[in-house]
Amino acid sequence: MRGALRRSAAVLFAAILAGCGNDPYPLEDSLEKILYQPFDDPPKTLDPQVAYSVVDHQVIGYVYDTLLGYHYLKRPFTLIPGMAETVPEAIGLSDGRVAYRFRLRPDLWFHEDPAFEKFSPGTRTRTVEASDVAFSLLRVADPAVVSPVIEALGKISGLVDFGKRLDERRRADPEFAALRIDEQYRRAGPVDGVRVLGPLELEIVLDDAYPQILYWFAMPFTSPVPWEAIAAYDGVDGRESFAEHPVGSGPFVLSRYDKRSRIVLERNDRWYGVLHPEWKAPAATYPSEGAPGDAEAGLLDPDYVGRPLPFLSRIEFRREKEPIPTFTKFLQGYYDASGVVKESFDRVIQKGELSPEMRGLGITLAKSVEPAISYLGFNMDDAIVGASGGERSEKLRQAMSLAIDSKEFLRLFANGRGLPAQTPIPPGIFGYDAGYQNPFRQPDLDLAKKLLAEAGWADGIDPTTGRPLRLTFDVGDTGAAAMLQFGFYTSRWRRIGLDVEIAATSYNQFQDKVRRGAYQIFTWGWVADYPDPENFLFLLWTPMSRTKSGGPNTANFSNPRYDALFEQMKAMTDTPERLAIIHEMRSILEQERPWIENFYPERYALYHGWVRNEKPAGLSIPTAKYLDIDAELRALRRAEWNVPITWPAWALAAILVVVIVPGVVTFLRERQ
Amino acid sequence: MLAYLVRRLAGGAVTIVGVLLFLFVLFFLVATPEDVARKAVGEKAPPEVLEQWIAAHGYDKPRFWNPDDPADTMLAEHFRRMLTFDFGSSDADDVPISKRLREGAGPSLALSVPLFVLGLLIGIPLALLVAFFRETYIDRVGLVISVLLMSVSALLYIIGGQYVLGKLLRWFPISGFDPSPEVLPRFLALPLLVGLVAGLGGGIRFDRTVFVEETSKDYVRTARAKGAGEARIMLRHVLRNGLIPILTNVVLQIPFLFTGSILLESFFGIPGLGSITVDAIQANDFATLRTMVFIGSLLFVLGQILTDVSYTLADPRVRLE
Repeated sequence: MRGALRRSAAVLFAAILAGCGNDPYPLEDSLEKILYQPFDDPPKTLDPQVAYSVVDHQVIGYVYDTLLGYHYLKRPFTLIPGMAETVPEAIGLSDGRVAYRFRLRPDLWFHEDPAFEKFSPGTRTRTVEASDVAFSLLRVADPAVVSPVIEALGKISGLVDFGKRLDERRRADPEFAALRIDEQYRRAGPVDGVRVLGPLELEIVLDDAYPQILYWFAMPFTSPVPWEAIAAYDGVDGRESFAEHPVGSGPFVLSRYDKRSRIVLERNDRWYGVLHPEWKAPAATYPSEGAPGDAEAGLLDPDYVGRPLPFLSRIEFRREKEPIPTFTKFLQGYYDASGVVKESFDRVIQKGELSPEMRGLGITLAKSVEPAISYLGFNMDDAIVGASGGERSEKLRQAMSLAIDSKEFLRLFANGRGLPAQTPIPPGIFGYDAGYQNPFRQPDLDLAKKLLAEAGWADGIDPTTGRPLRLTFDVGDTGAAAMLQFGFYTSRWRRIGLDVEIAATSYNQFQDKVRRGAYQIFTWGWVADYPDPENFLFLLWTPMSRTKSGGPNTANFSNPRYDALFEQMKAMTDTPERLAIIHEMRSILEQERPWIENFYPERYALYHGWVRNEKPAGLSIPTAKYLDIDAELRALRRAEWNVPITWPAWALAAILVVVIVPGVVTFLRERQ
Repeated sequence: MLAYLVRRLAGGAVTIVGVLLFLFVLFFLVATPEDVARKAVGEKAPPEVLEQWIAAHGYDKPRFWNPDDPADTMLAEHFRRMLTFDFGSSDADDVPISKRLREGAGPSLALSVPLFVLGLLIGIPLALLVAFFRETYIDRVGLVISVLLMSVSALLYIIGGQYVLGKLLRWFPISGFDPSPEVLPRFLALPLLVGLVAGLGGGIRFDRTVFVEETSKDYVRTARAKGAGEARIMLRHVLRNGLIPILTNVVLQIPFLFTGSILLESFFGIPGLGSITVDAIQANDFATLRTMVFIGSLLFVLGQILTDVSYTLADPRVRLE
């Protein structure tokens, strides 16, 4: 009875509001379990083998399902089976190669789409098979697809060669190039490392051990796509492009794609989690265990534990280009979650916690340190700050590292959001050690000056010229806000006597300088592709050197011992031996200082009281299938918070009458 | 008239060619294809992926001269695409630009046409009213308000409108867009109001000056001498004659209704052509951006010619020679 009353009240309020208020949504949606989220930049592509940006993944993460997934609550991140029945183990082959065998669940279905009808009349969908996963892997290698992850997935035996063969045959033979895509792949195949063993069984063979390959199966790059959709939506002769018309098998179906204003995902009733709740599939069931503190945070609520996913009926993304209106709409109840905009930071966060005003609105704050790092780097190929300077340059780098106070930087420029970094590995990743204190990352100006003097640059003076040692800080942003941040670093270095000049250019010009190796000190960042230390430590591995190979080792750091340890570590699973190797690598970096590890960014997420089960992931992974919305509570709150204030309209009308009427009367009287 | 039109069209064509050359220098010489590619495929993409993207988008062709095939250069391709209105695909997401223009025109027109029409329907009568009450306090107050309205930045109207009418008074959604007819007016109300207020001051000032100038002309004195009432003089004589210079202003604006308002669309989240232009700038989407600049210059030239033609239609005394 109470529920019915509440529901009626909510409908009534919503109806009143829709008539005369600021509600941007249709009345009939007010009591639906819809998650409303803003987005700023439109997705570039919805092709899962190509999409790389966060906003792309926000959509395709729900449309395309993956063979593996991440446990929603556990940290460090743990792989769980998705469309695959289990997380496969590495199988050592007799020729020294490594294989992984995936077994797909039965009764997996693609979303209904006219593309299927084109090739099999009368059919609107079909089941997902191992050959579809194989097809997706071949797409990654297809040069026409331009997938950004071929480097990583190219570790699959024969995949890169397949791409070359395909390209050559297309160039040499126009008839081949005109064939249907699946036929082209068949003729350019087979690929030794992609073996379809049965309708539901797929084996991946790698030339070398690379356990991180499994993480790629938790990302949409390896999601199965139907060849029918690729063939139908080729973007030619006015036909739609597959990048704009996804056909996946995930828990939500894309029902509307106005990517400049509105994107709508509807619950997929053919998703295996909905069709087969009895399977209790880990990626389709709310988890029963989590990380320490999750139970206290209400994330293991018995009302949800063990229930089939998803709880939402729809996810609505609305385009918002400006942060302040977006945040206002969040406070009005029209978005369910929000970040904290800097303009309202003091109003929302006080002394690191949620302000009483926000708590009064029932809003909760979730803090999460992202698996990412921001760092200052030295170009190790440079004659002064680099490796060729020997011990002298090493002491210079150590001194400069000691001069940077990251905590102060975060206080001044990020409202304290972030964690001063000690090593390249951020929290949540195997190898992160909360107790470790890097001796060169504890701000100490006296020690810095001492090291500088030992290096032969006492008080920053170059003895050969008698003038201050001049260094260049090369940056790719000329904006006022960024310049303030760069000025922070140079001012800290000035305190130990170093004259570091900021060389600010556009980002493109900066990239060009880096490509040519014409830079000295720089700042950069890295966000994890997957939660493994290899994805951070490879940033300092010699083969990844930016100047030599165009890789992400922007410091051009090269240390044979580090490289040997890296080779060993990357092929290992998370064992104490692996940890010991990571610690040794850490010691090398600690001493050599190719980087000044600055900070791990921290995200503050705000949620309304009607959102249930919220836990930010940091990684770009789909989590909304775990969320629930109390739509009735939301409708009541919206009604309460958004009653229009009408008296100013009447007051304005009255003022106009008071001003105009006497004027008209006077004028007419004068005319007469 | 015909000779004049041909001359103007030829002049316009030369301007367009100049614009195209300028665009080429700006987009193909200043920025490198690597810059565009990196923005499109992402920061982490390896060099070979960048090369694939560049080749797939034709940015690997010689810029000016190709001895094997002189027509196969970036310059020739640029001119061919623009002059045949085959704009190609966006650098950011490979969507055909013509499709994007079609999608953006609707939302832009949904805002710009009502704004244009309402601006005229409200601005001209108000200017006439102020001119009618010239030298009274209504005129003076009207002038002060107009100058005040003109002096304030459009950005302030937008932010102020969103803050006061959207946030404090909760009359309208602060931002957003939905083309469904049942909710569209709700989203357009605030940008329309803001756009109207922002443009009203200048409009009233200009139109009032025209009308007041007309009232001092001989034909008005003659009308008065014949005993015509003041209201009749304003509506029948002053309004009709005053509309000629106003028309110049108005016709010039018509072509730009298609390109939308960059500020209003950006701040209110309206997915029109103005918003597309801003998105293209932010995404280094040069293919879309050069198309938008080209279309803008084309419309400008067209607007100039239309204005001249409309003069002859409105005022038989004007002859274009």
